[in-house]
Amino acid sequence: MKLKVAKSFTFVMSLLAVCGSLSAHHGNSAYDEKHPITIMGTVTEFVWSNPHCQIYLDGKDDKGNVAKWAVESQSPGILHRNGWNKDSIMPGDQISITLAPARNGAPVGFSGGNDGKIVFADGHVLKMNLR
Amino acid sequence: MRNRLAYATVLLAAIMIFMAFSPARAGQSELTTKPQTTTKAPVAPALKRDVSGVWQYRGSGSAEPIAPEKDMPPMTHWGQARFDAERPGYGSRAVPDGNDPILQCDPAGFPRVMFLPTPFEFVQAPGRVLQFFEREHEWRPIWTDGRTLPKDADPTWYGYAVGHWEGDYTLVIESTGFNDKTWLGSAGYPHSDEMRVTERYQRVDHDTILYNITVDDPKAYTKPIVAPQRIMKLKPKGEIEELVCVWSEENAFTKRIREPAAAHPGK
Repeated sequence: MKLKVAKSFTFVMSLLAVCGSLSAHHGNSAYDEKHPITIMGTVTEFVWSNPHCQIYLDGKDDKGNVAKWAVESQSPGILHRNGWNKDSIMPGDQISITLAPARNGAPVGFSGGNDGKIVFADGHVLKMNLR
Repeated sequence: MRNRLAYATVLLAAIMIFMAFSPARAGQSELTTKPQTTTKAPVAPALKRDVSGVWQYRGSGSAEPIAPEKDMPPMTHWGQARFDAERPGYGSRAVPDGNDPILQCDPAGFPRVMFLPTPFEFVQAPGRVLQFFEREHEWRPIWTDGRTLPKDADPTWYGYAVGHWEGDYTLVIESTGFNDKTWLGSAGYPHSDEMRVTERYQRVDHDTILYNITVDDPKAYTKPIVAPQRIMKLKPKGEIEELVCVWSEENAFTKRIREPAAAHPGK
């Protein structure tokens, strides 16, 4: 009986957690979209493919922690409609990228929401405007 | 003679001005909520029995569930067992070895494809309307030649759809013949092969469709799922791009991004 109650309670709490995440970008609460951070570094790879374009960089957060970051963005189609193309980011580019970091502390993030943006050394900016 | 000509010209001008600014009257009477328009210039009226073009759902910009959690009806025993067994790749129940069918490039299928942030295109042909989805580069025919739904359709990923016009501005589509392999969204809500879907695409002006969808699946849910109304906007210069799910690309993405982000911390 107690186990059933515990199971039901856990289930209801998970549902509530899912409910909270459903309105988040990407429907994915693996990322903390309420607390975006900015990583600065050098691009090592830009993957222009489905399901999500990806930006890999050797980066540093604002506390000075250095890590190899893996960042997901949107599909090429969506990025095209936001003015990006396959050459928008090149290995070697010095960028700062705003992203929602993974909640588990891994150097993984999501930059495909409306807050996501990339600023280059010469000042030009790649933005997202999903609408 | 001159007076008559002047009178006719004024009358014609008045009619043209009136037609340019009047709403789609048949559609207007069915509205329960007024669509919001942010443009200052008046929008051209809806075309009659015509939904051709590229349409974009104006949602959160990310994948969405069919309906918010609070609007989902209780599941049957069958539905609940399926839900509990699923291991999503997204959301709070996400696990590294998720079994979301789309993670291995199984089709998102219908209706899940409607809640993804990519556009679709309607092309109207004799006896059918073709709906092309950017997602997965997939499409489905909607038969408008008067046929009824088959009683025992083969189970498929995108179903069998028939459509008819309600008045001049609402395309009503009913579909059946679904397999039970797709999810209704990334949280893992199931549906059975008895699912029946009803959609209404109501064109309220030149650029706007109000979209309503209801899922009736008594094997999985104790009541129909009535999704909140969604707004779709015409993209006059829109082009459907290629978005093919490629297993090798999906797998690489899962290994490099999804799994590290979903893994439990090792602390």
